[in-house]
Amino acid sequence: MDDKGNKKDANYWRGFSEFNSDPEFLKAKEKEFADELPVNSGEPEMSGLSRRKFLTLLASSAALAATACSDYRDKGAIVPYNKKPEEVTVGNPSFYASTCTSCSNACGILVKTREGRPIKVDGNPDHPVNRGKICATGQAGILNLYEPSRIKEPMIKSGAGNFTASNWAEIDAKIIDTLKKASASGKEIAVISHTVNSPSLKKLFEDFTAKYPTSKFYSYELVNESNKLNAFKKSFGKEGLPVIDWKEAKIIVSLESDFLGKEGNPVEAMRLFAERRDVMKEDVLQESMQLTIGGENSSRKEGFNRLYAVEGNYTITGANADYRIKLRTDAIEEFVYALIAAAGENKSLINDFINKYNLKKEVVNGLIEDLLKNKGKSIVLAGAFLPESTHIAVNKLNDLLGNTRLYSKDYSETPMMHLTPRKEIEALTDRMNSGAVGVVIHFDTNPVYHFSSDYKYTEALKKVDTVITMSEQMNETTSESAYALGISHNFEGWGDFKTRTGVYSLQQPMIAPLYKTRQKEAVLLNWISDSPEKYTENDYMNYIRANWEKTVYTSFGAKTDFKTFWNNSLHDGVVTFTEKADNTFTFKNEEFNPAPAMKAATGMMLTLTRSNFIGDGRFANNGWLQELPNPITKVVWDNYVSLSPAASEKLGVKTNDLVEISAGGRTLKAAVFVQPGMADEVVSIDLGYGRTGAGVIGNNVGFNSIELMRKNPAVSDWLYQDCTISKSGGTYEIISTQEQYPIDHERYNDIHLKREIIMEGVYEEYVENPKFLKEEKGETHLFNIVPSYEFTTTKWAMSIDLNKCTGCNYCVAACNVENNIPVVGKEQVGKHRNMMWLRIDRYYAGKSDDPKVSFQPMLCQHCDNAPCENVCPVAATNHSPDGLNQMAYNRCVGTRYCSNNCPYKVRRFNYFNFRNNLADGYYEQQSLSLLHNPEVTVRSRGVMEKCTFCVQRIMDERQHATQEGRALDGDRVKTACQEACPTNAIVFGDLTKKDSEIAKHRNHELGYHVLEEINVRPNVTYIAKLRNIKPEKKS
Amino acid sequence: MEKQLLDYNLKVRLPVILFVIIAVFAVTYYTTYAERNGIGYTPEQPLKFSHKLHAGTMQIDCKYCHTGADKSRNAGIPSADVCMNCHTLARKDRPDIQKLTEHYEKNKPLEWKRIHKVPDFVYFNHSAHVNKGIDCANCHGDVKQMETVGQTNSFTMGACLTCHRKPETRISNFEEIKSNLKKGPEYCAACHR
Repeated sequence: MDDKGNKKDANYWRGFSEFNSDPEFLKAKEKEFADELPVNSGEPEMSGLSRRKFLTLLASSAALAATACSDYRDKGAIVPYNKKPEEVTVGNPSFYASTCTSCSNACGILVKTREGRPIKVDGNPDHPVNRGKICATGQAGILNLYEPSRIKEPMIKSGAGNFTASNWAEIDAKIIDTLKKASASGKEIAVISHTVNSPSLKKLFEDFTAKYPTSKFYSYELVNESNKLNAFKKSFGKEGLPVIDWKEAKIIVSLESDFLGKEGNPVEAMRLFAERRDVMKEDVLQESMQLTIGGENSSRKEGFNRLYAVEGNYTITGANADYRIKLRTDAIEEFVYALIAAAGENKSLINDFINKYNLKKEVVNGLIEDLLKNKGKSIVLAGAFLPESTHIAVNKLNDLLGNTRLYSKDYSETPMMHLTPRKEIEALTDRMNSGAVGVVIHFDTNPVYHFSSDYKYTEALKKVDTVITMSEQMNETTSESAYALGISHNFEGWGDFKTRTGVYSLQQPMIAPLYKTRQKEAVLLNWISDSPEKYTENDYMNYIRANWEKTVYTSFGAKTDFKTFWNNSLHDGVVTFTEKADNTFTFKNEEFNPAPAMKAATGMMLTLTRSNFIGDGRFANNGWLQELPNPITKVVWDNYVSLSPAASEKLGVKTNDLVEISAGGRTLKAAVFVQPGMADEVVSIDLGYGRTGAGVIGNNVGFNSIELMRKNPAVSDWLYQDCTISKSGGTYEIISTQEQYPIDHERYNDIHLKREIIMEGVYEEYVENPKFLKEEKGETHLFNIVPSYEFTTTKWAMSIDLNKCTGCNYCVAACNVENNIPVVGKEQVGKHRNMMWLRIDRYYAGKSDDPKVSFQPMLCQHCDNAPCENVCPVAATNHSPDGLNQMAYNRCVGTRYCSNNCPYKVRRFNYFNFRNNLADGYYEQQSLSLLHNPEVTVRSRGVMEKCTFCVQRIMDERQHATQEGRALDGDRVKTACQEACPTNAIVFGDLTKKDSEIAKHRNHELGYHVLEEINVRPNVTYIAKLRNIKPEKKS
Repeated sequence: MEKQLLDYNLKVRLPVILFVIIAVFAVTYYTTYAERNGIGYTPEQPLKFSHKLHAGTMQIDCKYCHTGADKSRNAGIPSADVCMNCHTLARKDRPDIQKLTEHYEKNKPLEWKRIHKVPDFVYFNHSAHVNKGIDCANCHGDVKQMETVGQTNSFTMGACLTCHRKPETRISNFEEIKSNLKKGPEYCAACHR
């Protein structure tokens, strides 16, 4: 691996075929579109109508049309409100602050609604945790609201095993009767939920138990942090996890902890991590000067942090690390013990360890040196799926280095209710089998899919008198239930949440329930009500209100009356106040084992990881999320077995080959994806795929790796050491979006390696000479044969800071939602027809056993000399006087010349009406038309499209400027990707304003343009990435 | 004989036929031009609302009812509660007012016939125009004199561009507001996105 950063000869490659110069790949690169793409795929067969008949029909219909012609075309009707809500202006959006319920992080969200229907979700800027940003899953959650397959009313299973629609009054009466009987006969009522982080829900559970004393509450998560939490409790005697003061962290060591991607709250972690990678802050330079000159740590907060990632998988965190140490996952605990010993000046352990695993000595020694030099300013993090013993050791190491100082003084994470330990779930199934459980209520959970088959949960359910499942959509569990109760979406109900000390947030509805559903909490509340027939939609809101009046309102100490406090809280979506957080941390040495409990095995090992976007599988039926590429592998619509190139070679398999994995006595057949940079002994599969009851979109996507989970695993739920893997024969096609769209023609192949599409440098080199990059690159002299257009009034431009970009894909999700981008399906992505306007290019550099990854968001560059414009025969794409490369869809005739001529390959062609093309028109159903952004045309078949720089938002700002009688302010325009970027890597604005943010970025010493030398004059500036690695000693 | 017939066909019949076809086409094209653009379209509305009475005689400002005109892309058709501001008291004896009241009370929306329409791929913005002081009548005609509103102007791209290129020819109050006006944009993204 070349650690010198970006030099002209860096070997960037996008996949194995390119790395190995596979002749087939090279041949394919010559063509933009692959051969033999059948255009009629997915289309109905040619009609059998004869030519003669067709003409007859044509003539007769023309005649009919002529006679039916009236004077004027009817233009339809306008149906205004009858009583217009005061806050609504038709055509202008309204925003509601609420809370996201997609995962247990409960981030604050701001939902944009138009004419009463939610169309876009962004983070709530007032929320102290996620500060205006929200992950891809949270953004795409809006699709679930309009999902056509939602359960539209409560349903009851009839004798034949089919569900028939019922009504709430009838269902309530029946269930209340059942509950009363179960309670009276002493049979258990088991309520199974996910993480409970709502104070009012917790109270509701208590009230429920008061009414039905035999009730018991269980909560589970397929992927959770209980190992970490338990270890923390043992180590420091405290509940919950501390929040890390990232600003203080100079050295970050991630031990298989994907805190930038899948663990904890990545939205928050990414922001705080990137705040110390901000080259725009002037004192970054000054402080680090002191660092290099004085050699001592300065007390100032700025300056780049340094991230070490020790991992067996290839995660986003590993991709963003300055140093990545490849190590099999089950050796991490031994590594921690070696570090602990090294911290105590005993280097023999670590030296043995380095030799045993063939690690780079200078990197590991550098890590130790950094940790010792930055005591109290570094943090070691361990992955949530590692066993408790590893976490205790990591806590010990942090304590030893004085890093507990970095545990935030302001607040910490506080679990509202603990997840149910495995043993209790087992006890529950035992009781179910013995007939002691009368009622099981699945509180929006899907344990039939989620529970390890060891529990034999489905069989146990059959022994329960009544099984009730509340769910938005039918799933694996509803089919095992007597009742399937359709519940409201997050945007249709009320709620309150608390995940941190002193941070309460509220969830409020922004649309009345679309169907005859009720929110799950209200259903329970109604079952304990004295008069369930008098249900109103406000019941649960009143319940929360009453609870808040007694608790939050009093602790907040507001000087206003409760009503004002409540209304203000609803408006803001979040209430914060100082709640005492205990911040002394004394490590209990007695909990620390003298020797590591987890020892590395010799064979292969398996890790089961959380899916990046579909959560624990609950979003499997969400096409947006299925089609969002995995940040590292770029695979869509599947999970797969990640194997290192060496391991796959040893096994004689390549990508797409099916293998059989056995671990812990279980086997699973799944397809291989060869992932460079994996540790050779590590096999990894994402969880949450392979669902069978998810719906049209989510069924049979990928492989169900939950089948490999055991109820009593030897090490951890997600880590199995005794893994064997064998080729099983057969293939399964895995589709990845990269290795498509070869940016470079073969003719330029040699040049492309030196083409400076990605530019990188070393942080300290930059500190010594901020202009080093430009000097290295040299001057490019470009000239035009015709005079350039002068942009005098406005010129739109964007800048993307690659130091801050973590490759998370949230911007892609935001772009898809904002711009009505269709889901095309796995098959069409395989034919290079994905429609995303914005993609994150991932480049590998170095050797395939341990490559370095660089990310680059790639979108329309809105070139001043746009090559696409010159070739359009109908001038459908041309330039606006404010610098936009505009695309008039109604003019486009679909020649695709522009796409052919685009050097960045960012144009997308509608080969079909994709909404109609996918799964028999699944995405063209009526409820989904409500989802579209009314400010953006919904494109149909046959037109080219691409990024517009969110022209609808520019026009919105123009409208406001005119309305307020002021000049256009470019800084007020926020593109969708910019708004979603958790690290604020994207800046957009008007270049003609010299003091604007964008002008500063564009003129920055590290700014460069991709393919600058072809003189297209792009308007997206990239800020070159600096790796905070130690410069090589100059001899 | 055959040759003569061919000659006649080519020299006389064909030109005559072509002329007739072209003439018919041209005449139809020009005479129906306005109609095809919707000029003169005056559909019957669910209520016999008179703009002449309200906007003309009583001088009620357009924006009293079309509240979105200066705030939003859409001028908006007033919701029934705006009518009821006056008609809870005024003219309760009239059958149309009774019909309106019925709709209002039963929360039954009124379906007004749409008169002015641009295609779906056009994003016209009322507020951008109204806030510049361009009078509504420039596009919508003298609504104050219309008993039943109909379309008086063309709403084609050509019509938009004429005004954006030579506002002085189309805007009646041009002299009054010209200090406030910039030339309207002519690039695609101004209306299409």
